[in-house]
Amino acid sequence: MANEILEEHINNEYKYGFTTDIETDTFDKGLNEDVVRALSKKKNEPEWLLDFRLKAYRHWLNMKEPKNWAHLNYPKIDFNDIIYYSAPKQMPQLNSLDEVDPELLKTFEKLGISLEEQKRLSGVQSNIAVDAVFDSVSVKTTFRETLSEKGIIFCSFSEAVQEFPDLIKKYMGMVVPYTDNYYAALNSAVFSDGSFCYIPKGVRCPMELSTYFRINSKGTGQFERTLIVADEGAYVSYLEGCTAPMRDENQLHAAIVEIIAHKDAEVKYSTVQNWYPGDKDGKGGIFNFVTKRGICLDDNAKISWTQVETGSAITWKYPSVILKGNNSIGEFYSVAVTNNMQEADTGTKMIHIGKNTRSTIISKGISAGRSNNSYRGLVQIRKGASNARNFSQCDSLLMGDQCGAHTFPYIEIKDKSAIVEHEATTSKIGEDQLFYCKQRGIDMEKAIALIVNGYCKEVLNKLPMEFAVEAQKLLAISLEGSVG
Amino acid sequence: MIAEKSHTAQHIIEQISAKASKVNFINDSDLTKALMYLENIGIPTNKDENYKYCNMDALFKKEFKNLDQKLIEIKNVAEYKLEDAINLVVLNGHYSESLSDKVILQGLHLTAFSDLDTSGKKLISSLVNVESDGFIALNTVFSGNGFHLQVQKGTVLHMPIHILYISSSESEALINTRNLIEIQDNAEAQIIEQQIIIGKGKVFTNYLSEKMIGANAKLNSCLFQNEGSFGYSVNTSQVQVQRDGHYDNTTITLGGQVVRNNHNVALVGQNSQAHLNGLFSSKSNQLVDNHTLMDHQVPHCESNELYKGIINDKSTGVFNGKIYVRKDAQKTNAYQSSKNILLSDDATINTKPQLEIYADDVKCSHGTSTGKIDEEAMFYLNARGIGKESARKMLLASFAREVISKIELDSFRDKITALFENEL
Repeated sequence: MANEILEEHINNEYKYGFTTDIETDTFDKGLNEDVVRALSKKKNEPEWLLDFRLKAYRHWLNMKEPKNWAHLNYPKIDFNDIIYYSAPKQMPQLNSLDEVDPELLKTFEKLGISLEEQKRLSGVQSNIAVDAVFDSVSVKTTFRETLSEKGIIFCSFSEAVQEFPDLIKKYMGMVVPYTDNYYAALNSAVFSDGSFCYIPKGVRCPMELSTYFRINSKGTGQFERTLIVADEGAYVSYLEGCTAPMRDENQLHAAIVEIIAHKDAEVKYSTVQNWYPGDKDGKGGIFNFVTKRGICLDDNAKISWTQVETGSAITWKYPSVILKGNNSIGEFYSVAVTNNMQEADTGTKMIHIGKNTRSTIISKGISAGRSNNSYRGLVQIRKGASNARNFSQCDSLLMGDQCGAHTFPYIEIKDKSAIVEHEATTSKIGEDQLFYCKQRGIDMEKAIALIVNGYCKEVLNKLPMEFAVEAQKLLAISLEGSVG
Repeated sequence: MIAEKSHTAQHIIEQISAKASKVNFINDSDLTKALMYLENIGIPTNKDENYKYCNMDALFKKEFKNLDQKLIEIKNVAEYKLEDAINLVVLNGHYSESLSDKVILQGLHLTAFSDLDTSGKKLISSLVNVESDGFIALNTVFSGNGFHLQVQKGTVLHMPIHILYISSSESEALINTRNLIEIQDNAEAQIIEQQIIIGKGKVFTNYLSEKMIGANAKLNSCLFQNEGSFGYSVNTSQVQVQRDGHYDNTTITLGGQVVRNNHNVALVGQNSQAHLNGLFSSKSNQLVDNHTLMDHQVPHCESNELYKGIINDKSTGVFNGKIYVRKDAQKTNAYQSSKNILLSDDATINTKPQLEIYADDVKCSHGTSTGKIDEEAMFYLNARGIGKESARKMLLASFAREVISKIELDSFRDKITALFENEL
């Protein structure tokens, strides 16, 4: 019985696996200094940005691909077999939605992302401003005008480079320098687009901001950069979603997200990651190597990461918070689901530098099929970070005897007033829990959905409402009847 | 960037080769493998994940540049012996028959490695993988003449065995100590190990102990480390527990400049269990690094770990515990807990409790917490007229007692309690 259900799930089609037939402007495969220069020229970038890219590229050349430390197993990536720029052919400047290629609109419509400003997600009232990124470029940012009335800047990264070079110059690379790691260096050299968001002093962003990433073209890598700056007392909630077509090849996604929170500012960043995970034999799928980091620069700032990770063949992602300002708060809530041959090594880093800083980590891993799911986290209390407080909880749920669940927490404490707690458990869905549900007339599938949803509730509760609905559905699809 | 290869291992080999005993009890293939390992990989640096917080390569470069090996022959060890136990003495890596008690108990056999017959020699190095760690390799090449302790089938020893490791040198020295403990089927034994340094020379002792616990056999052991500021050590214990076997160990670390414990337990028979407890108190600029590996290879096994640390001054404590549940090891119960108290602003604690699990029907958990002395408990005691200093001692003593109370031999437990509380 259980096997049948599991089989059924494994054969489940990836819903977003279609491709869009659209004329694109594409570079040849391969990476060298000329590609970096050409990319920069294409984007009409100022000299300083080209310098930044070249410095990053040269640094990347001297770095070794990290292979050993993560609990991941994947074929060697040929960085010369990747297209570093692919964009839908279109006119240079879009003024209204009518000018967007209808194929693109259809694509995003199909993904449930409305680029028309009056439409809302499934009857929910609140507004969401979307920056839609298709392969290497941002195709449309909605609600720009409404937001700019409040002084909020929300646009594609390329536009920001042209229009707000001072801000980009000031903040880019502040949290994730190009020397940070292999994939961050690669991204810094070849990033094509992304989103930029600036919330001015004392402004509470009236709507959810969101970036939607879509990989479409064959053989391309997606390298985008998101930069969010919340000035003193500002607040913003930011969402990120992503999908890709089903292909036999592995496609590389190496992004950087940087968040800077000034005094009293709060940034909430939520991700529902649903890249194509590959088929049941592990063929194809996205390699997701992402560097996400935020800094609470001044006092009383707060950064919160929430992620629901269900996609990607390989996930390598550690959204982190540097708690520099006194009384600042960092939070990390994560649900990571792996199935079939998927491998995830994900977690967070909380670096406590300021006094009275607090951090919370809640991580829920679910592994099924022949997948491996690891939590890897660092909690570091630096000297002088007095009264720092951390609580971490990492739970893993195993479904089937072919999968693995692992926990690698690093805890480094250099201050005696710190209080740090960490707990982790690994188990399967309790027979008694299932029995309880079943004898009350709830069938197996619903019972599992119920138990898994309950298991993830602490995290799902942290998602903005529109996303929580989506995430719950995603979980149900990913796991229905995986255990018996 | 290719990391520059360190030549520490070569340097060590060159220096101690002349004075080291000729090893003739380890098979050639292991010897060759060990030498190759030292040649190619060598002494671990902090780039090695397992030695991230404990850079041994740097330690050797800094503290053990000249291994003169001017070892001292100690003549009298009476003060360290235990009255109600069989005392075995290992001096500078070699089993000393003259200093040890005579073993005349039935079912208990003690043989120096050099006196072992072929079948006995085969057991040596059978549990460890010489290519897994630089210190195992080093010990394999330069091991002193240790002993094989065998508790024969069905023997229940009523008297504990006390193994006293004494190292003594006038100047910098590296000592490789090794033994093999075999508790055969249905046998039971209690072993107490003590590590001591006498003298004014810095000594690095590379201990390696293989412990085999047979079916339905029981070993209760306690390791007391109190080497003082001249003592540097790596302690590798490789334990294998067969069906229905029972392994219990308590490690108490009170002194030692650098103490690194690698405690690896493999549960290879169904329904076997292992319990590891540890307590350390570190001061000045000491480093105490406890690594444990609980390898659940078969179904229906149970393991428990409790490690506690009190870290003072500029010292550093490390706890890295790994629970590894293999694919077939269903119905595993594994628990791990690590609790630490930091007493000073310059103290550091690094913990890494790992779970690696490949079976689904298991119950595994770990917890770790680090904090200061509970202020509410402090207040409670103060409010009852107990001064700050005595209250502090009282709270730390009770924190430690949870582990110390696991020691089975009463007289030894009392001794450790007194020593420990004296240090607070």
